[in-house]
Amino acid sequence: MRTLLQYLGLILVAILVGMPVWWAINTSLQPLESVYSSHFQIWPDHPQWSNYTDAVSRLPFLRFLFNSLIITTTAVFGTVLSTSMAGYVFARLRWTGRSWCFGILMGTLLIPSQVYLIPHFLMFERLGWLNTYKPLIVPGFLAMDVFYVFLFRQFFRSVPLAYTEAALVDGATHWTIYRRILLPMSKPVVITVIVMNAVFHWQDLMTPLIYLNDIEKFPLALGLRMYQTMDGDWVNHLMAASLLSLIPVTLLFFLTQRYLMRGLVLTEK
Amino acid sequence: MSTAQTTSTGTFLKFLSPWLVGTSVLVLLPVIASLVLSFTSWDGLSIHDIHWVGSANYRQIFEVDSSREVGPNDPWYWRLLGGIPKDAQFYKSVYNTTIFAVFAVPLGLAAALGLALLLNQPLRGISAFRTIYYLPYILSGVGTILLWQWLFNPDVGLINLFLKYLVTLWTWTSGLFGHQTSPWSPPAWLYSPQGCKPAVILMNLWGMGGAMLIFLAALQNVPPHLYAAAQLDGANRRQKFRCITLPQISPAILFNLIAGLSGAVRSFKIPYVLQHWSQNDGLLFYMLYVYRSAFESPARIGYASALIWILFVVLFVLTALTLLTSRRWVHYEVR
Repeated sequence: MRTLLQYLGLILVAILVGMPVWWAINTSLQPLESVYSSHFQIWPDHPQWSNYTDAVSRLPFLRFLFNSLIITTTAVFGTVLSTSMAGYVFARLRWTGRSWCFGILMGTLLIPSQVYLIPHFLMFERLGWLNTYKPLIVPGFLAMDVFYVFLFRQFFRSVPLAYTEAALVDGATHWTIYRRILLPMSKPVVITVIVMNAVFHWQDLMTPLIYLNDIEKFPLALGLRMYQTMDGDWVNHLMAASLLSLIPVTLLFFLTQRYLMRGLVLTEK
Repeated sequence: MSTAQTTSTGTFLKFLSPWLVGTSVLVLLPVIASLVLSFTSWDGLSIHDIHWVGSANYRQIFEVDSSREVGPNDPWYWRLLGGIPKDAQFYKSVYNTTIFAVFAVPLGLAAALGLALLLNQPLRGISAFRTIYYLPYILSGVGTILLWQWLFNPDVGLINLFLKYLVTLWTWTSGLFGHQTSPWSPPAWLYSPQGCKPAVILMNLWGMGGAMLIFLAALQNVPPHLYAAAQLDGANRRQKFRCITLPQISPAILFNLIAGLSGAVRSFKIPYVLQHWSQNDGLLFYMLYVYRSAFESPARIGYASALIWILFVVLFVLTALTLLTSRRWVHYEVR
């Protein structure tokens, strides 16, 4: 009896959580007249799949998608590379000033990124980087997300020295140790950082809003805004475009879920 | 024993240079620059037009004209200020953001904890539910905000359709008993000053999956022997929850509280995407005001920098206060 009630609660919440998506799918498959009619349909009588192709061709949706992919993959690659390398140095190398630098690292962790907003804009503007992807990508290559540095450091520290000492004796360089031993060992952390950072860049609105002007350079977040500002005339297409924009993140999540839950719990500690 | 290995400077420079450059050029320098800029007046164009104005920006932001009486139609919080604020937009954005944080954060934490408790059961297929509840958190962005905007559509949105259905049902049943009900007009949600904040608070609730997962992890780390001992002592379920579960997961509550507060105070996407003239600036949140001051003409770089530093200090104080009071209610296991 109790189990039944628990399942009932779980299903009820699942329905509530899924409601916006179902409603959007429902709208995206109707002709515009029936969207605004009071006739309520649980599922459209005649699903109009052409709405999706119409939505994609109405604005350069595929261009937006491609731009988002380019920005996200490049920025995430830079972030994983730079933060894991810094994490390696903080975890496995001994050097003068390490505790000092680590103090700075922990200090910068507390600074909200909004503080950099205006100086970054002024700096990148003077470098001639406006309307390019550099302001969105370059900070990633410079280990700006210090939280991930901390994360990698914590994980690398937990790997016993014996693993790497043998390699060092055999004449392996630190690069080899980092690339061939430690990175492969920290797969859950790497994947967690990839997903967290990819989701951040995929959903980021503020940075592209500030730096990009040309429609052809817009990522999805800005592209969807263009669909939205013409809202009302073709809300079924707006819903179709919004739903399509959610697919890549959903895919990423399902592909990595196995590692993610482990990694996310790891990051909390 | 140290876990580090001695090495040459060359190796470590190669590894660390991205972080060194990033932190000095993109973090430390900007922090100082934005502090300095906050004491200047500048439109952001020519570097020769930067003027040192001392604390004028900060004074202008907070200035309240107490010689003038607050009228009955003015915002109620002006009475707390004791006059007419010079920058009414600033106080409006502080008010809006505070209202949002005060409702959205506790509601979000309660929902997240509730769902985590629901998920913390040894049931078949529980991981599927976990995925469903967690997904909105990952998906939250412009796309999902647009989904919610449509859900809140005053005429044909699902939420108002549901409310209309409930009201019709109510009118009909009270009609059976001979009661007269007053006519009802559905809320305009995102197209009204009163409805826009409840709407965004509700939609924010949808993304509680992140906090939920942290609660779930904490719940699964509670040692089972504590419950067994309580069972022997005859504790009921409410007592077990209050005296075992809550203290045991209090570090997770603290973490989610701080993360939730700082996230709510800094939220930008929701107000930016959903702003509409009919809200009468009801969704003018703090970061939206900063954005408008800095990047919409006329750009006021110095003024916006001062706004940012106020935010920085407020966030710092909020976090510090939460951490300080946490000594009273957060329980750490001594090992």
